[in-house]
Amino acid sequence: MPPKPHRILLDRVSAYADEAAAYVRRRRVSRRPFARLYYSEGRASDHAADSVAGGELFVAAGRLIEVAGRAGRESR
Amino acid sequence: MADGEANGMISGGAEGGGTVSAQAAEGALAYLTEMSPDLRGAAILDSAGAVLAATSEPSRWREDAAALLDVSDRAGEEPVRQVHVATEQGEVFALRHAGLTALVVSDRFALASLMFFDMRSVLRELAKKGDDPGDAA
Repeated sequence: MPPKPHRILLDRVSAYADEAAAYVRRRRVSRRPFARLYYSEGRASDHAADSVAGGELFVAAGRLIEVAGRAGRESR
Repeated sequence: MADGEANGMISGGAEGGGTVSAQAAEGALAYLTEMSPDLRGAAILDSAGAVLAATSEPSRWREDAAALLDVSDRAGEEPVRQVHVATEQGEVFALRHAGLTALVVSDRFALASLMFFDMRSVLRELAKKGDDPGDAA
């Protein structure tokens, strides 16, 4: 017996909703701020925003973004 | 990471960088800006931390770049080679090569590997010019 048409529609909508939820989840992860330092011989270290070094890095980076942003606005 | 630039860049003198003219740095910055559509602003610093070229307000770039590099160096046991900080407002890249430092502020989600590649190639060319007095003028 074939499924009822509204069941097919519901399945399709819920599949799209699952896809959208997964996309949002992935995007949220990829949007998470990070601070990464690279050293000689390819070594790298991550610093969380709530660590002392991480906090200082975000503040310093924020100042540079402000300078560059202001220049961008002035040139427009 | 190769080419023998392992030790302290910004404070360690221009290893192999020679004297880079502001004009050459301006040209390099223009090239970098042209190559990177995500770029909002950038600066090139010499081994003493002085701004050779910047897209705006050199004094602010000098201060803020020094602060970022100082914090970065203090975060580890050795001087950093590259810095990448991604925030909600944008991304900051810093790269030291041959005694020179390039800093870039870009839009979010810029491709880090490409950005670092472009920055490195620009600094490499600039350092070469610094070595050659004929080009540096």
